[in-house]
Amino acid sequence: MDSLLLLNGSPRGPRSNSMRMLTQVAQGWQAGGGAEPTVLHLARSADFDRAVIEIGRAGKVLLGLPLYTDSMPGLVLGFIEALEPLIGREDNPRLGFLVQSGFMEPLHSRGLERYLMKLAMRLGSPHVGTIVRGGGEALQVMPDQALGKLFARLQDLGEQLAREGRFDPETLRQVAGRERLSPVSAAAMFVALKMPITQFYWTQQLKKNRAWQRRFDAPHASA
Amino acid sequence: MRITIMNGDPDPGSTFEGYLHEYVECLVAQGHEVTRLDLRDLDLKGCSGCWGCWVKTPGLCVKHDDSDRICRAFLASDLTVLASPVRMGFTSSLLKRAADQMVPLVHPYIVIEGGEMHHRPRYARYPQMGLLLAPSADTDVEDLEITTHLWSRMARNMKSSLAFTTIATTSAKEAADGLAAVA
Repeated sequence: MDSLLLLNGSPRGPRSNSMRMLTQVAQGWQAGGGAEPTVLHLARSADFDRAVIEIGRAGKVLLGLPLYTDSMPGLVLGFIEALEPLIGREDNPRLGFLVQSGFMEPLHSRGLERYLMKLAMRLGSPHVGTIVRGGGEALQVMPDQALGKLFARLQDLGEQLAREGRFDPETLRQVAGRERLSPVSAAAMFVALKMPITQFYWTQQLKKNRAWQRRFDAPHASA
Repeated sequence: MRITIMNGDPDPGSTFEGYLHEYVECLVAQGHEVTRLDLRDLDLKGCSGCWGCWVKTPGLCVKHDDSDRICRAFLASDLTVLASPVRMGFTSSLLKRAADQMVPLVHPYIVIEGGEMHHRPRYARYPQMGLLLAPSADTDVEDLEITTHLWSRMARNMKSSLAFTTIATTSAKEAADGLAAVA
């Protein structure tokens, strides 16, 4: 059976939105006949070190990561730097990626997608595709049942990886959704976001922490 | 102009260090007020996406490390120059870790800016940003393009804009002179 190394690049570790999505891809991979993947969390230092070694031995690798300031988290970039010795080797693994962002529109992730494609090329690794998905932070408050369609598509992608060795571009497009807000929905959101209720995810946490009164604090303001 | 240099070179003995030293000297000679931060000497614990800086201690990282200094030095400048060697087609992870910890500078609330979802600003003004890159042997034009694009997106997230990307193959004096164009 074909092997898969699943790398979770979220600084939050196992309890992250990235891992929640990776788990679905892994399910599909096994349904498609792949062996149970090895899972490593880069946020754990022992896993990080092991990942650098395992990636040199793996057949296929899927690296999942959250978008930080429209690129990769520093943690993941540190991992990428550790892969430099792999450049020029002949048997580097097939590489795939999963990028998930808090913002809804996939456009925020496209620059990073381009970087990751170039990274695969730099390592001489066949690129199996990059799963891009926005609205990831909403997963924190959504039960599995509400995510049925997304999870089914992520499983499809895992199955495609097992059977065809790559992600189907059409499924990737479906998972990504609309590239940017339409002018109408941007205008509607512009207005809606002025209403406190639409910011409830943050307001609720600020209130719980007794920090709501201080929400607009600007502690680093310079004279 | 008040200029903050964030040096993301992890190696104090590199040739880029010498370049940077000369670059700073030229800027000072031109009358700029320069603050240099060597990120490798700071205690940076890295962002773990806990959102404490948004929902627990608004505007401050809960890790109590030197990321406060980065945020202050950024805001106190008119221009912040991010200096880094290019490795694996991008700036150093040291620089990126520092940038990740600048997220307290914006507010969690979502706004629409230029038709895109973004975060609400926390401060009234933000400085401009620039990139100073030292390419390595395998750096190509596409790497520089991707790096510039990703950092211009980063700048946009920080309510700033990326004013330039300078490649440290031109002389330090020329690079410093180039800043005259940045108002």
